[in-house]
Amino acid sequence: MRARGDVGETLIEVLFTIVIVSLTVASLLSSLGTVSRAGAAHRSGVQADVVMRNYAEATKAAVQQQCVGGASTFTVVYQQPDGFAVTGAATGSACPITTAVPLTPLQLKVTDPQGRQLTMFIKLRTP
Amino acid sequence: MAIGFVLMVGAIGAGLAGLATTGLNSRNNLETVRNREYAADGAIEEAITQVRGYACTPAITSLVDTSIDSTGIRVDWSSTCPFVTASDETRYLQRNVIFSACESTVAVCDPTKAIIQAQVNFEPATGAVTKTFIQSWSVKR
Repeated sequence: MRARGDVGETLIEVLFTIVIVSLTVASLLSSLGTVSRAGAAHRSGVQADVVMRNYAEATKAAVQQQCVGGASTFTVVYQQPDGFAVTGAATGSACPITTAVPLTPLQLKVTDPQGRQLTMFIKLRTP
Repeated sequence: MAIGFVLMVGAIGAGLAGLATTGLNSRNNLETVRNREYAADGAIEEAITQVRGYACTPAITSLVDTSIDSTGIRVDWSSTCPFVTASDETRYLQRNVIFSACESTVAVCDPTKAIIQAQVNFEPATGAVTKTFIQSWSVKR
């Protein structure tokens, strides 16, 4: 029983405050961790987008540069960044026939370091 | 003071949630834009291959390609076949074609609203084409 004129908090009040503040700090730290992971995933996604674009351009350039003068095959030269994997046209793929329509879409795949896979289709044309 | 504390924690939580959501949305948008650009790119490649077989005045001036993008890409093109003079004073026909690719939801692809616009020269201008020259290839949006 608190006597009249006493100041301060009871033990139960102090403990209750500590529990509430602890829970709040824990949830904020957890949120920060989630945001940090989301940021990392976003960064990885943007990098994967860049890798996909570069790989697509390298594939198109390979056809434009190698499928000329009667050449019948092309090979894509592309060095992806560490941790990324790319798949698309196999080594020594056949050059597209100049008059064949419709062109056959080629599927490109990029796998980022977290294992997330992006796919995209492009069309290749012999110049 | 207690209310201020609750408001502060709520504001921080809302800010963090917004940050995470914005990151995820922008990544999805990036993917959508990239796929649309390459679908338009593929549709123009398709159109160039078709136009190879046409004369100066083509019978067909558009196509809709749904093989890459499910919504489809519409390509419209216009041809001119002017005489040009080479450095050795030889005059010859040059077939210039301007391609514009839009989403297929439009009736005709307006060049000012195109996703990609490309100018291509075909050589020779008549008969079987042996070479194509990409004069410009602009990704507009």
